[in-house]
Amino acid sequence: MSVRSVAARAVVGLLLALYAAISLYPFLWMVSAAFKDQYEVVRGGHLIPHHPTVRTLAETWNELHFFDYFLNSLKVTGLTVLLVLVIYSMAGYAFAVLRFPGRRALYRLFIALLFVPSVTVLLPLVLLENKLGLLGGHWGLILPFVNGSAPLSVLLLTNAFETVPAELREAALMDGAGEARIFTRIYLPLSRPVLVTITLLTAIPTWNEYQLTRVSLNDPHGFTLPIALQNLQSGAVLHYNVLMAGALTVVVPVIVLFLAAQRYFVNGLMGAVKA
Amino acid sequence: MAAVSTVVPGSPARARARNRRRPVRYHRSEVLWAAVFVLPAIALFAVVGVYVILYGFTLSFANWNGFTPKWTWVGLRNYADLLWRDPTYAPAVHTAALNTLWVMIAVPVLTVMISLPLAMLLNSVRRLRSLLRSVYFLPYVTSGIAVYFAWQYVLQPDGAINLLLGSAGLGSLQQPQGFLGNPDTALPTLIVITVWSGVPVAMMLYLAGLQSIDPTLIEAAQIDGAGPVRILRSVLWPLLRPITAIVGLLALRDSLQGFQTFLIMTNGGPGDHSNVLGLEVYRLAFLKLLAPTLGLSSALGWMLFLAALALAAVNVRVLRRAT
Repeated sequence: MSVRSVAARAVVGLLLALYAAISLYPFLWMVSAAFKDQYEVVRGGHLIPHHPTVRTLAETWNELHFFDYFLNSLKVTGLTVLLVLVIYSMAGYAFAVLRFPGRRALYRLFIALLFVPSVTVLLPLVLLENKLGLLGGHWGLILPFVNGSAPLSVLLLTNAFETVPAELREAALMDGAGEARIFTRIYLPLSRPVLVTITLLTAIPTWNEYQLTRVSLNDPHGFTLPIALQNLQSGAVLHYNVLMAGALTVVVPVIVLFLAAQRYFVNGLMGAVKA
Repeated sequence: MAAVSTVVPGSPARARARNRRRPVRYHRSEVLWAAVFVLPAIALFAVVGVYVILYGFTLSFANWNGFTPKWTWVGLRNYADLLWRDPTYAPAVHTAALNTLWVMIAVPVLTVMISLPLAMLLNSVRRLRSLLRSVYFLPYVTSGIAVYFAWQYVLQPDGAINLLLGSAGLGSLQQPQGFLGNPDTALPTLIVITVWSGVPVAMMLYLAGLQSIDPTLIEAAQIDGAGPVRILRSVLWPLLRPITAIVGLLALRDSLQGFQTFLIMTNGGPGDHSNVLGLEVYRLAFLKLLAPTLGLSSALGWMLFLAALALAAVNVRVLRRAT
């Protein structure tokens, strides 16, 4: 290996490491502050805490009820993901496999929804939910979240179901299987990577959702993590160690979910682009 | 996250267009099953989608504060007020529109300028590639209030970034009021953070594009004596143009519609120096308390919708040409 190519590889490595540092930068400080006490955190400057403590984290979870908020977030995100998977895999099956009048128009309608800015429908949505008595409850969040992930989910699932060989369905029909059985026994199992991708693409923004949640939820018992975090910040005295401990509670679950599912996720995203 | 949205003109629609001429014979049972399968999606859309969109459209022609029992119909006056007539709202909208324009220029350009070289670098190494990919993806996975608070923490007056600049001998770049507190640096800072959150998906798309390029093309160029810059300009860039179109248009869409970062980190401040159109819609809808601004908010929301539609039309055309 020549000197030049060694130097070139060193530069490549250095640049890659630099961007890794940029990607991690706010997280490093988040972790750092979460493990400091309230005196050390205002004496800033150093990344590694001199007297690391888990007291702040423990307090956030117990006295500040972050564990309850965590459960609320889990409920909202879990139900949203579940409904998205059920409703739009059914719709995707109809669009990809079944022949019926108006199929193309309906499919296009769902995709076109991507271009409705969410903020345009936010106000009328809140007014409608207020009228229906949904405002303030978790279902008032879940239903619009589900509807909001319709375009992407329909697109990905229809594409995935179209790649399943039609012969499989024809053979099953010959054997007397109904559409429901074909859908659950053949199409869903064969599309597992896309289902995982949709799970992540839905779970990540739902977990972090702030705009609708902030104007919907009033009862502190129902707060999700982002709103609880917002409340910490607007409190009387701002302690950055407490705020960062709360922030850590918000990001760790999504990071764990991403690491667990990333193999499918990356392939699913790339497949969707190549399709 | 809408990475895939822009691919619409591609596959299923086109394949189906070919069969369109042939008259389709529907089977009764199949149509019934189809009705059952699409019913939940349509029912939800009818309530949370259609009704809401129409309601918002009607409201854009009225005056209302959200509490009085009746709306006052004002015709197109809300639109005129926002665009030029009203002495308080129109200037705010103009500032927000100008800021949005800056975001729509800076974010796509910076995203491409960072994510393409990054994807090329990542594609050139074997070791640690998947670890680095996961690390680079974190800003997307966690994008939300928690990370924006962490950014606020490092950007504040005595935060880590000012300290870093000081110890690196770049004290002149320090911001004693904090990066978000200075009217001149608030918007650029928010743009940088938006790019930071958008790079992961863009890089992933470029990586997919790079991996689908035939390596013999690059070898041939190398044999002809082309250096890395020349290869990027004459071989990779043209081949990756479809990806660049997707990345650029995605970033444009998010710049036009997204405002979460702005809402959480500055709420448009200081003054209106980092206000954007999406945020203005939100503030008119929810943060004006008793003032009758709900109609104004709807009208501005609809203008944003029209802009998004225009963008979508360009989107489809550019993609058709690029692919």
